Amino acid sequence: MSKFWIIFKREYAQVVKKKSFLVGLILTPALMAAFTVVPSMLARVQSSTTEHLAVIDMSGEEIGQKFAASLDEYKLPDTDKPYYAVDQIFEPSSTDSARIQQLRDSLNNQINEKNLKYYVVIGPQASLIDSNTFMVTNGSNFRAISRFEHKLSDILSARRLEFSQINLEVDSVLTLTRQLDLTIKDAKGDTIPFEIKYFGALIFVMIMFGMMLGYGQMVMRSVIEEKNSRIMEVLISSVSPFQLMLGKVCGLGAATFTQVSIWYLIGMLIFFFRGALQIDPAIERIVFDPFIIGSFVAFMVAGYLLYSTLFALIGSVVNNEKEAQSFVMPITLSLILPVMMGVYLVQEPNATVAKVLSLIPIFTPTMMMMRVIFVAPTMTDYSLFSGLLGEAVLGFIILSLSVVALIWVAAKIFRIGILMYGKRPTLPEIIKWVKY
Amino acid sequence: MELYLKNIQKSYGDKIAVHDLSLKVPSGVIYGIIGPNGAGKTTTIRMIMDITKPDSGEILVGGTPATKGFKNIVGYLPEERGLYKKMTLHEVILFMGELKGKSAAEIESRMDGWLERMQLAEYKLKKVEELSKGMQQKLQFITTIIHDPEIVILDEIFSGLDPLNIELIKGILLDLKRQGKTILFSTHVMEQAEKLCDYVCMISKGEKVIDGSMSEVKSKFGSNSLQIDIEGDGNFMASLPGVQAMTEFNNYIELRIDEGLDTNQLLKTIIERVTVRGFSVVEPSLYDIFIELANIDPAQMNQNQGAHHV
Repeated sequence: MSKFWIIFKREYAQVVKKKSFLVGLILTPALMAAFTVVPSMLARVQSSTTEHLAVIDMSGEEIGQKFAASLDEYKLPDTDKPYYAVDQIFEPSSTDSARIQQLRDSLNNQINEKNLKYYVVIGPQASLIDSNTFMVTNGSNFRAISRFEHKLSDILSARRLEFSQINLEVDSVLTLTRQLDLTIKDAKGDTIPFEIKYFGALIFVMIMFGMMLGYGQMVMRSVIEEKNSRIMEVLISSVSPFQLMLGKVCGLGAATFTQVSIWYLIGMLIFFFRGALQIDPAIERIVFDPFIIGSFVAFMVAGYLLYSTLFALIGSVVNNEKEAQSFVMPITLSLILPVMMGVYLVQEPNATVAKVLSLIPIFTPTMMMMRVIFVAPTMTDYSLFSGLLGEAVLGFIILSLSVVALIWVAAKIFRIGILMYGKRPTLPEIIKWVKY
Repeated sequence: MELYLKNIQKSYGDKIAVHDLSLKVPSGVIYGIIGPNGAGKTTTIRMIMDITKPDSGEILVGGTPATKGFKNIVGYLPEERGLYKKMTLHEVILFMGELKGKSAAEIESRMDGWLERMQLAEYKLKKVEELSKGMQQKLQFITTIIHDPEIVILDEIFSGLDPLNIELIKGILLDLKRQGKTILFSTHVMEQAEKLCDYVCMISKGEKVIDGSMSEVKSKFGSNSLQIDIEGDGNFMASLPGVQAMTEFNNYIELRIDEGLDTNQLLKTIIERVTVRGFSVVEPSLYDIFIELANIDPAQMNQNQGAHHV
C-alpha cells in the first residue's frame, strides 16, 4: 500500500470513527432546517388572540367608524372571533389640541402597558392629505400594517370619489382601479418563488461553507497536533512532506464526501418515500437539475481542495490554534461574502460584479454555486462559450489551476514549516521558503 | 549497511551548524556521535535522514547516495518524541510500521513480542495517552524498530529514560548489533556512550574533534590516567608535579598525568596527606579526551550534563 494511502486511511478513520461525526451527521441538517425554515414559518404565524386597537378620528367624516367596521372581515384562524377589536373611537375636534394631546397621552400609556396593540390617528382632511393619517404601535407587525393600509386606502379613495362628483358607484370604481399582483413566470413557463430559490441556494452554499471551513480546519488542527506532539519528525522520516500533506487533505476530504453522500441518501429516501408529504415542484426543479448537481460536486471538490490546502499551509507555519486564528478569520470572511451577497445575487445573478467575483478562485465555489442555482432552473442557453455554463466551466478551470498552484506552493512551505517551532515565521521568510 | 558522510556542511543564516564533517559508520557496529548540546549532533542526524539538506557534501549509504528506499530500511528516533495520543498502542505500531512499507501481517507478527519485551503487552488496546511518560518512550522505541530496519538512528537516545529502561534499551541495541544491524546514536552523556559504543565521533561546535574505534581513540591517549578514591579534600592533587589535569566525579577523582611519571611516588605523596581507599591506572575516559581535545571549559560541560542527568 502506498504511503499516501496509509496517511489517507488514518485521517479518514480518525474522523469517521468519532462520535462527533455521527452527531454532526444528524445535527447539521437539523440546525440548517432550523435556521432556514423556522424563520419563514414564524413570519407566517398568526395571532391566536384578538388584537386591540383604538382610533382618534379628527376628520369629522366618520372615517374611523368605517375603518372599524371594515376590520370585521378578519377572523382569528379557525374561529369566528375577530382578529381585531376596535375598543374606542374618539372623535375630537381637530382644533381642540389640548384634548387631542390628552387622548394621545392616555393611549400611549395603554400601548406601553400593553392594553392596546395599536392606535390609528386619522387627521383632518385625511382624504386629501395622506400624511395626516398615521398609526402608533410598539411592534412592527407586517400583517397588520398591510391590512390597515389596504382598508384605509379603500375608505379614503371612496371619500375622494365622492368629492370629485364623478357619478359612479364607489364599489365599481374600486373594482375598476384595483391593483394587479404580477405573477412571475420564467422562460420555462413555471414559477420558482423567490424564497425557494434563495433558501435553496443558501442550503447548498451552507453545506459547501460548512464542509470547506469545518473539514479544512480539521486538516489544520491535524497538522498542528502533529507539530505540537512532535510526531512530525518521525512521520517525515517515513513519508515525504508532500505525501503527508496530500494524504491528510484527501483523507479528510473523503470523510467530507462520506458525510455529504449520507445526507444526499437521506434526502433521496425522504423524497421517494414521502407519502402524503407535499414537496413543492419548484424544489424538485432545483435539486434534480443536472447543471446544479454537477456544479455542486465540481465546486465542492475543487473548493475543498483549495481551502483545505490553505488550512494545511497555515497549520504548518503556526505553533498553536490561537496563532492560527488570525489567518482563519480572513478565510472565513471570504466564504461568508457570497452568502451576504445572496439577496443581491438572487435579483441580479448576472450582474458584472457577480460575474467578476465568481471568477476569483477563493469566491468561485460559493459565488458560482449561488448564481447557478438562481439561473440554472430557468436556463435555456447551454452554450459552452457563452452564458452561465461557459462562465461556470471557466470558473472551474481557473479554480482547478489555482488548486494545483496552491498545492505546489504549500508543499514547499509545508516541508519547512512543519519542523519549525517557536517564533512564527514572517511573510518574507515564508516567501523565501517557496523559492528555496 | 555502511554509512558515509563526506565533507558535510550546513549553516543556518550566519551560524555554521556543521562544518566540513566526514565520518564513516561501518556496517554492523554501534556508533556514537558525542558532543555537548548545540554541537551539531541533531543537525547531522537530520541530514542523514534527509529531513534537512546539507549545503554541501555527500551522504552515501552502502556506497551510493541514499535512494527513496532508504527511509524504509532505517528506524529513526528523533530527540523530540511524540505519538498520537488518541490512538491505541496497536494502532500506532501498525500505522508506523506500515508507513515503513511493511504489510500489516508482518507488523502484527512482531508486535506482541516487542510489547512483551517492553512490558507493555497488557496495554496493547489502550490509548497512548493512558501510558506514563516512561512507557510512552518505550512504545516510541518499538515504533522505531518494528519494521526490522537495517540501520537504527537514535538522537539523544538516553534522554527521558530512567536507568532501568536505559539498561533495557542497551540490551536491545546489543541484540540488534548481533543480528548485524548498524546502530548510530547521539548523546551528550559520555559515560553511557563509553560502555556501549564500538566507534565514536566526537564533535564540538559543528566540527569533528576525533573519530575512530573506541580502542583507537583511547590508545591515542595512552594509559596515563589515574582513578583515586580518597577521604577528605583532594584539591591539592591538581598542583602536584606531573599532574596535568584533575576531574572530580561523584565517588572518585581522575588525574591526567605526564607520560612515564612514577605513579608509586605520586601515591606516596598523596597518602601522606589523605586516606586513600582506592587507586588504579586506567585508560582516559571519553569525557577526559573530549575536554582535552575540544578545549572546553569543564564547568560548562558539567552544566550541560547535569541538566540532562536529572
